[in-house]
Amino acid sequence: MTKNPIVFSFRSFFHPFATFQSLAGTELSPRAVFFSYALWLLLLPPLFSWLGAYASGWHLGAKEPLVLTPKSLTIVSIGYFLLLMFGFVSTAIISRWMAGTYGASRSLGLHFALVAIVGTPLALASVAHLFPHVFFNVLVLIPTMIWSMYLLYRGLPIILQTPPERGMLMASSLVAWLLVAAVSLLGISMALWTAGVGPFLGV
Amino acid sequence: MSENMNLPKSHYHDEIVKTCLQFSVAWALLAMGVGVYIAAQLVWPQLNFDTPWLTFGRLRPVHTNGVVFGFGVSALMATGFYSVQRTSMVPLFAPRLAKFVVYGWQTILVLGALSLLAGWTSSKEYAELEWPFDIAILVVWVSFGVVFFGTIAKRRIKPIYVSNWFYGGFIIVIGMLHIFNNLAVPISIDKSYSLFAGAPDAILQWWYGHNAVGFLLTGGFLGMNYYFLPKMSGQPLWSYRLSIIAFWAFTYSYIWAGPHHLHYTSIPEWVQGTAMVMSVILLAPSWATMINSVMTVSGAWEKLRSDPALKFVVLALAFYGLATFEGSMMALRSVNVVSHFTDWTVGHVHSGALGWNAMVTYGAFYYMVPKLAGRPLYSVRLANVHFYLALSGTMLYIMSMWAAGVSQGLLWLSVDQVGELRYAFVDIMASMTSYYGLRFLAGFIFLSGTSLMAYNLYKTMGARKAIEARPPQVDPAYQV
Amino acid sequence: MNGFSVHRKLEENTGLLIFGILLVSAIGGLVQVLPSIFTESLSQASEYSHLYDPVELTGRDIYIREGCSVCHSQQIRPLIAEVERYGPYSRADEFVYDRPFLWGSKRTGPDLHRIGGKYSDAWHHIHLIDPRKVVKDSIMPAYPWLVNRAASDVGNIQGKMRALQGLGHPYTDEEIAAAPAALEGLTEMDALIRYLQMLGTNRPQGEDPNLHGDH
Repeated sequence: MTKNPIVFSFRSFFHPFATFQSLAGTELSPRAVFFSYALWLLLLPPLFSWLGAYASGWHLGAKEPLVLTPKSLTIVSIGYFLLLMFGFVSTAIISRWMAGTYGASRSLGLHFALVAIVGTPLALASVAHLFPHVFFNVLVLIPTMIWSMYLLYRGLPIILQTPPERGMLMASSLVAWLLVAAVSLLGISMALWTAGVGPFLGV
Repeated sequence: MSENMNLPKSHYHDEIVKTCLQFSVAWALLAMGVGVYIAAQLVWPQLNFDTPWLTFGRLRPVHTNGVVFGFGVSALMATGFYSVQRTSMVPLFAPRLAKFVVYGWQTILVLGALSLLAGWTSSKEYAELEWPFDIAILVVWVSFGVVFFGTIAKRRIKPIYVSNWFYGGFIIVIGMLHIFNNLAVPISIDKSYSLFAGAPDAILQWWYGHNAVGFLLTGGFLGMNYYFLPKMSGQPLWSYRLSIIAFWAFTYSYIWAGPHHLHYTSIPEWVQGTAMVMSVILLAPSWATMINSVMTVSGAWEKLRSDPALKFVVLALAFYGLATFEGSMMALRSVNVVSHFTDWTVGHVHSGALGWNAMVTYGAFYYMVPKLAGRPLYSVRLANVHFYLALSGTMLYIMSMWAAGVSQGLLWLSVDQVGELRYAFVDIMASMTSYYGLRFLAGFIFLSGTSLMAYNLYKTMGARKAIEARPPQVDPAYQV
Repeated sequence: MNGFSVHRKLEENTGLLIFGILLVSAIGGLVQVLPSIFTESLSQASEYSHLYDPVELTGRDIYIREGCSVCHSQQIRPLIAEVERYGPYSRADEFVYDRPFLWGSKRTGPDLHRIGGKYSDAWHHIHLIDPRKVVKDSIMPAYPWLVNRAASDVGNIQGKMRALQGLGHPYTDEEIAAAPAALEGLTEMDALIRYLQMLGTNRPQGEDPNLHGDH
């Protein structure tokens, strides 16, 4: 397995199942996965969103774009990055916690790799943030997310070496976690924003 | 020997189960079809055709009543009658009354839908049908209770299985809610005025409205889940104790949640506050059931290979977790400030309705029909295709409505440095069109999947009569 | 465990189970709904309350019939942006004669609680016959049939007012007797517009009417 993150990401993007196969049963260091691969992927969405928003502001649909100062944009991008980091690490850890119930490999490195490979399409598709129109991003990211879910369902049994049906159950549980995390993100954001931490809302 | 003398003479009354199931599928197609149509109207208003009975305002309640009371209640009747007989090990009590319940209910639905198109409406959500229908509903509902509890009362096995508590709770609580929320003074056959007005009426309506979701869409379908999941996976329930705690905590706390539909409105703050707190507490019993179910099925993973029904139920549980979690979160005032009146609420409804209710029902139907027909499902491949259509339709629906709703909510509240509104209402509304287009597509995808199921089930059952199954011997230790 | 052996009894007795469910599920309603019905401030008329006259009542019933509350709310929340957009937030005593309440649960279109007086009768007339003539991006359905139907055909106005009188609305017998005459010559469109123009305009003397929203 190559350690070069750029080559690795393209390889896993174009041949995800071959990558899953080659990783199955191997000993993988979570640190190696994170620093040589995942970290760089996680940097992409915040970077693209900063650039896109700086160039043309956020087009939220209703007439004029919302333009933020570079300082605010940086704060938002850093927040975005921290969030993605939290999501990545927590999902991998929860996946490993579930592994016992579903007879899957308990190697943390493999779980890091699983989440990283499943998330690769989304990280790469975040190039859509360069055009910060909400609807355009929604249009690009929803099919990407569907593809990622497909990778999860078919890839998890391969890389974690569990029968497909058992893997299906585990993948469903992970999806449930991800949905809950997404919704919590929505809710926490709303609670913070209406409390004054964030853009100004007339509440 | 006492066991032989105990064996009932007749077989289970499954013809009525089959009938309910067929009606349920028919309503799914019809009411979801109306849903897709009204979704299209929000993108292309020309589809209202300047015709009174085709306008969005009149079609929407046809959709909601059709899916909840048509598709949903028929499914609960089918699965309820199926499971109560088998968990009580006796044929249905008063089978002729059961027939009255089923055909009476369907008559109410058809005539009711027509009345909605004619503009007969109370405007109270999920209780739009006017007073003649309300009376008819009450008569049929009480009969439903008599058949269901009568069957339980004459059971041959001592304990009443947990699925029956949930179905029973559904029947009792919906009856109670229906009576009080529909109290009205009739003026003419098509019009009445509610007994209560303004704020008290609002509190009463959402006591009803939320618990229609709570005890019909959640409670009743949990009953379905508690019977079919262990059956399908061939495993006993993971924790009996958890199911007891979950049931009573659920029945107690759900009722309080109603006023979370009324945050920041002109009702007393203490009512809003209690609703908010109980809505969060409610998460515990909801998830207790989900965990109980997931742990039950995790021991039966080999079945997923050959059994599409199980796939549906497993995913339904994930969406159940999502929807109940999201509900508790949206019940927090600080989140509700943004979500109230927006499409986020619509998205939330459909994550539950499509992701949980429809999918768990589809799972139950894919399991039941082969059993009733006495032969395997016509096409497992079609069922798997259906599964992916249902999943993608649901995900697309949720995502597009999250995007729409959050945008709406935030943009409505958006003010600049000097406190002036940033955006005109009409501009925000116009920017929603693309999301409404995605949602229309999502509904269409979901409906296609449902159509595949209708075809598959029809080919499996055909015009056959339901197999005559007989109640088994009862273990003497549990005999009544 | 003691609790679970108590539960045994419930699980083995149909009647007890029914009773238990009824008891437990009734509590929430008894605490939240019942007191609200008897809370005076929520149902007592005040200077903010407006008793619907026969024409407005007819218009309101048309509003209900056409499902307007499916897309339009009538409840302005006490939030800065909302008050700026729509006007003073909604008070409970403004709804004491609303049977049923029409607060709505969705804003596909804007809130209408204080729509009264914001647009001319002519604007409403054109808007209801074809919304896109005055609001280019509108997705609202058109309601052209309202001009072809008589207001007096929207049910029995006297029966309605008598029933409401029985429920505590202070209509006088003379008002009820005069009601059909009030509807004479009016179309459903006229009645609906009258209702819309009255919405939210009832402010007591001296209150600043200039808190108009800008939509």
